[in-house]
Amino acid sequence: MKKYLAVFKINLLNSLTYPAELVTRSAMILLFMWIFFQLWRITFTAAGSDIINSLSLRDTMWYLLLAETLELGRPRLARVISEQVKDGSIAYLLNKPYNFLLYQLSSGLGESLPRMGMLFVLGGAQVWAMAGPPPDLVNWPIALVALAGAWLLHFCVNALIGLSAFAVEEVAPFEWIYQKLVFILGGMLIPLDFYPVWLQTIAKSLPFAYMMYGPARLFVQPDPVFFTQIILGQLLWLAVLGGLLVLVFSRGMKRLAINGG
Amino acid sequence: MLRELKFLLSLWKTNLAAAMEYRLAFFSQSIGMILNDAVYFVVWIIFFDRFPSIRGWQLTDMFIVFGISASAFGLAGLLFGNAFNLGDIIVKGRLDYYLSLPRPTLLHVLASRVVPSSFGDFLYGFISYFASGQFSMGGLGRFIIAVALAMTVFLAFLVLVQSLAFWMGTGGVFTSMAINAIVTFAIYPITLFNQTAKVILFLVIPAAFMGAVPAGFVKGFSWSTLGLMLLGAAGFLTLAILVFHAGLRRYESGSAYQTEV
Amino acid sequence: MPAIQVTNLTKTFRTKRKAAGLGASIRSLFHPEYKTIEAVRGLSFEMESGELLGFIGPNGAGKSTTIKILTGILFPSGGEAKVLGFIPWKQRQKLAYHIGTVFGQRPQLWYHLPAIDTLILFGKIYEMEDRETRRRIAELAEVFEITDLLETPVRKLSLGQRMRCEVAASLLHKPKLLLLDEPSIGLDVVAKQHIRDALREMAKQENVGVLLTSHDAGDLEALCKRVIIINHGQIIYQDKVSTLKRSFLNSKLVEVRYAEQIPTGFHIEGTETLKVAKERYGVKLRFDPRITPVEKVMVALSAAGTLVDITVSDPPLEEVIAAIYKKGASPSPLLERGTG
Repeated sequence: MKKYLAVFKINLLNSLTYPAELVTRSAMILLFMWIFFQLWRITFTAAGSDIINSLSLRDTMWYLLLAETLELGRPRLARVISEQVKDGSIAYLLNKPYNFLLYQLSSGLGESLPRMGMLFVLGGAQVWAMAGPPPDLVNWPIALVALAGAWLLHFCVNALIGLSAFAVEEVAPFEWIYQKLVFILGGMLIPLDFYPVWLQTIAKSLPFAYMMYGPARLFVQPDPVFFTQIILGQLLWLAVLGGLLVLVFSRGMKRLAINGG
Repeated sequence: MLRELKFLLSLWKTNLAAAMEYRLAFFSQSIGMILNDAVYFVVWIIFFDRFPSIRGWQLTDMFIVFGISASAFGLAGLLFGNAFNLGDIIVKGRLDYYLSLPRPTLLHVLASRVVPSSFGDFLYGFISYFASGQFSMGGLGRFIIAVALAMTVFLAFLVLVQSLAFWMGTGGVFTSMAINAIVTFAIYPITLFNQTAKVILFLVIPAAFMGAVPAGFVKGFSWSTLGLMLLGAAGFLTLAILVFHAGLRRYESGSAYQTEV
Repeated sequence: MPAIQVTNLTKTFRTKRKAAGLGASIRSLFHPEYKTIEAVRGLSFEMESGELLGFIGPNGAGKSTTIKILTGILFPSGGEAKVLGFIPWKQRQKLAYHIGTVFGQRPQLWYHLPAIDTLILFGKIYEMEDRETRRRIAELAEVFEITDLLETPVRKLSLGQRMRCEVAASLLHKPKLLLLDEPSIGLDVVAKQHIRDALREMAKQENVGVLLTSHDAGDLEALCKRVIIINHGQIIYQDKVSTLKRSFLNSKLVEVRYAEQIPTGFHIEGTETLKVAKERYGVKLRFDPRITPVEKVMVALSAAGTLVDITVSDPPLEEVIAAIYKKGASPSPLLERGTG
């Protein structure tokens, strides 16, 4: 356990050592939040109402902030892992006395925690100024739990995409499409609540909603029933995707051992 | 002028040959990009289904603006692919290669690479225009002109931003942020923005020249719009060339920011 | 007219110190610290057209900087230079038509394509007629023995094969001057030999001047008639290679084998015994021919037993050069003798 903590720490420190990168990414969230605000402000005005599908403008903005924080802050593991597979450096990582997947998990976490922190703080300041104060403090721990679950789900999918480099030449297209599916079915650019009902049903039966919509929505309007639904959904999908990941990984390892890498 | 054109043509031919060495990657990335763009666009379909008009901007406008931006982006990647990693080339001292050859440096650098997925973006733009419901043969002609001019502005912006590498050693993250910024602003409805913001979109991050203005031209011919597009293209291109060469002088003095001595 | 004329060239770099860490980055924004590097300090030399000149020096000596200035990629802080009659940094594009460059660590050939595609592209870059390009490619392919390799993607070639193609490419447009910066890095002995032979042949046939920088003294010995030794941005020695070796010859190595075992305490007066073989049939010794005449040593050696085998060798050029580096910029009787 200690070694993973060490890996986590070193990635954390690494993130902080090159502030230029942190700052640049943070500038992106400021940009997006600003554009979103223009879009939704005008949309709410045009719709002639303060509340759309039980969300206010302020709610929508904080929803989007959390979604963007996760999206911009999560580590690009698919690319990292696929490159390790393709150039064979995965062999070095596999020779070490730790579990490859746990290693990637802790390094990814170390990298993305400070990033998400900074994104949230900067973006949050901006959203506060534009749309109003953040949700009650009570909501935060609830959202945080769901956020952790969502992060893990992203991790599983990204690792799977990265490992598909064993079978496919190009993983980038998978990465792009996955991201776009999260956009649509995870309600990243538009809260799922605004979708037509039939689409909402579909979205909620897929993992994407639990990767994005779940934590973001809980952040602005926590609800014990909803919370339970989200957590259960996350656990379910974690079991499925996590199980798939472990399976694919061990298969890939066997193949690597046979082919010699 | 003619000499350089002949040179460009043979450079593009060589690029094509190199891309065909990896036919599979080229086509799979292109197809992946078409899917990526299409899936992303679905978000807007959902949006406009719920909120049909944003201060006059409608789904059909979205199709056109998306189309122009995608094709301009794709064309830039096909013909001048190194525009996306010029900063990197500068910082790693790889300009030396181009400097020791008797052809104009900027042109040579930019045209020496093809981004494989660009073909997908380029095609998708046309598909999007066909699907817009406003397609016409005349419109197609205007679309092509619009794409060429939008590409010019986009290229110029990329060169401008990455020429900062001569002074500040800015690398990949900064570049991708700039690209994100201009593309995002280009495709979001221009009706969202007030006067001040519009000034920025014309003079600083020229997204207006990559989206709204060419879209207007495609919808209906107008001398003033054409004039505006030409002015934007010429203006930014000139600025980009000037700044790049100023940076180049710095590079040749040895005081540029280089990671290798 | 000399191909290269350099007078009192100087180049000083001022680079910002970049430190890692949040605090350091912020500090450097307000109080940037600069580091001054004097890469080239008052360099002067000439190179005749068609000459084979070697530039040797340790890392950081200023070789690459000098080459960059000569190709017009970098402009100097002071001094003058003329290459083929052009001022490099002012007439870079014009000069480019007449020079070829090979940077050992920066390939010119497109990695994913067969070398011939790059060669054809180069033909266009240098505005050659297609027919001329083809003819020239065939000619170069023969000299560099790469005819069979031209259609293979460069990424599939071995390093030696790739370098041959690289050097061939640099000669496509019949330049009057070829500048090679560390061309044999990473090559094995056979590959190096191959390239040196081809280069010598081309230089002879076409009267191309060759300016070669290298760490590898073997490149010098094989290729160059004259050598300039540079360190800390200054020339510390320049002369013909043959003179260099003779001037610094202050030791000879001798290895002998006898039919009988060597008695313990074996010693020849005026020599230093370096090693005695385990079975005691052979011995290796060193002496300074200026102090102990060669004849005396030979006579003593053959008197000591029945000679079965003998090898006499000069110190490797590396040693000579390393000794020169150590002497550095301080003048000495040795160096005075050297400038010829």
